[in-house]
Amino acid sequence: MTGLRRILRGYAFTIAGITIGVAGLVALGAMSERIVRFIEGGDRFVLGQISVAGRGMGMGTGFTAGGLLPAAAIRKIAEVEGVAGVQSQVMLPLNPTTSQFMTLTQELVLGLDLSVPMPNRHFRELPVRAGRFLREGDRRVAVVGAAFAASRGLGVGGSVTLEGASYQVVGVLERMLTAPDRFVIVPIADAREQWVAKDRLLQAVLASGAAALTAADLNTGAAVGWRDGADPDAVALRIRAGVAGVNVQIPSELSQLLRSSTAFFSALFAGIGALALVIGGLSLANTMAAAVFERIRDFGVKRALGATDVYLGREVLGESLAVTLTGGIAGIAAALLLGAAIDGWAARSSQQLFHFSPRLLAGALGFSVLLGAAAAAWATFRVVSLSPAEAIRRGA
Amino acid sequence: MLRASGLVKSYRAPSGAPIRVLAGAELTVKGGEFVVVAGPSGSGKSTLLNVVGLLEDADAGETWYADECVSALGRNGRSRARARSVGFVFQSFLLLPSLTALDNVLLAARYAGRGGPDARRRALELLEELGVADRKDHFPPQLSGGEQQRVAYCRAVLNDPPLLLADEPTGNLDDANGAAILEGLRRRARAGAAVVVVSHRPDAAAGATAVYRLRNGVLEA
Repeated sequence: MTGLRRILRGYAFTIAGITIGVAGLVALGAMSERIVRFIEGGDRFVLGQISVAGRGMGMGTGFTAGGLLPAAAIRKIAEVEGVAGVQSQVMLPLNPTTSQFMTLTQELVLGLDLSVPMPNRHFRELPVRAGRFLREGDRRVAVVGAAFAASRGLGVGGSVTLEGASYQVVGVLERMLTAPDRFVIVPIADAREQWVAKDRLLQAVLASGAAALTAADLNTGAAVGWRDGADPDAVALRIRAGVAGVNVQIPSELSQLLRSSTAFFSALFAGIGALALVIGGLSLANTMAAAVFERIRDFGVKRALGATDVYLGREVLGESLAVTLTGGIAGIAAALLLGAAIDGWAARSSQQLFHFSPRLLAGALGFSVLLGAAAAAWATFRVVSLSPAEAIRRGA
Repeated sequence: MLRASGLVKSYRAPSGAPIRVLAGAELTVKGGEFVVVAGPSGSGKSTLLNVVGLLEDADAGETWYADECVSALGRNGRSRARARSVGFVFQSFLLLPSLTALDNVLLAARYAGRGGPDARRRALELLEELGVADRKDHFPPQLSGGEQQRVAYCRAVLNDPPLLLADEPTGNLDDANGAAILEGLRRRARAGAAVVVVSHRPDAAAGATAVYRLRNGVLEA
């Protein structure tokens, strides 16, 4: 223990250098992980269901950007071969005055028809961290996403006001690092009321009686599930061919669309991650090698006293492991603290910038230890190839 | 104990021209002998000591410890030979700054494979004998030059090596400390070790079995 303390004291500046390098590596990696999780989560969601909307420009809400999807169309979709279930949905922007340019990061109200099980194959139910999910027959209750709850300090039993009506929060979702983190999920009847309250055009149409609409016709879209063994793209194409007046998203096309729309960020963060790896790696390797070269005189003395290559190699390897492990752990801790501080600030606007996944932390630690040991071994090899007298002279 | 024959060593000047430092130097030192090598600065005394101590290679010639030609050994073989047979006292002490005085002394035992409680007891005895026992937990920068050289001397003799090589051991010391170190080296010779001291101090030669001068790369009596 005393020996370890002595080593760590002797390498204080090296450890500080490694700490900074690893902290940078982990922080940038966590930002990259965050965007990857976001894209993966969205991808998993859209590949788990067929999303259908009414044809038209309509509200342009949610993922489908369609118009009204009447109940008759939903019934016809349910009759298409290969369809296992159809859940009517209403998706609205929480605040329609904000731009819908960044739809993927927008706060949304999602109304669900709870008489139908969720047809999404990858999300049979959304994971609830506290409280419960919605039940059939619920009114004026809401389940909120983790980021939405955090930004407003909401918990189970709290309340949120939507279009002038108060909703009791009965559940908070687990943090999913994708769109539902910013959702307010309510029964579809409540969402329909909010839609009418938000949309003056819809109010005018309903008041004029020009269109024979009932409450069941007020849907912005539907989630469609397919039977076991059915090809979801083929089912989607059959809906498109067989049901008039609908926009049907082919799952694989939507996945592709999502990926291409996030490709820039994906590439940006992959680039940042790669740069972090190179810069952090070079900085770490350089720091460790420099620490060994700095002690060239000590190595000369030790060789003069009889240390063999194996003895010195073992000694340096042990020291480099202790140093890089300490620096690596301190770097990870620094990155976690930094990430928590920044995310605490970003949570006020429902955002989370970092995702410190176990694979990132383990990878960063393993990478730093291996690279540090390799750099130290290389430097030691260079040092021991000198004669003891030369090493002492150079270190003088 | 030590036999060196035909030692040749050259360095390259910045201009690239060879500078011959040793030109067939011969040196034999038996156990119990205290040999002093004198000579002007730059005459190659330290190089001679480095070569016979296996700290650097000669261009030609052989070095034998007892009946083993150690100059023919590989890098690790030479390390083991040094650990087994040689104790060094350097002009600039060469203590490791990250280790305490006691740990610096024990370093010699570690590389000779003689660590453990016996080595620690012996190290403490030596520090006591040299009057620096109360400094055992101090780090080199916290010690005076004289104290550092006493610690370095303890390190050199910890394993009772049959060959002691001292390069200007009193060069950075005051008279009192210098005398203490020289007396310690003479004591080792009287105890049976072969001792070679490179020094320009006249008092180093007192009690010497032989005094050589290094001139033009060869040792002269």
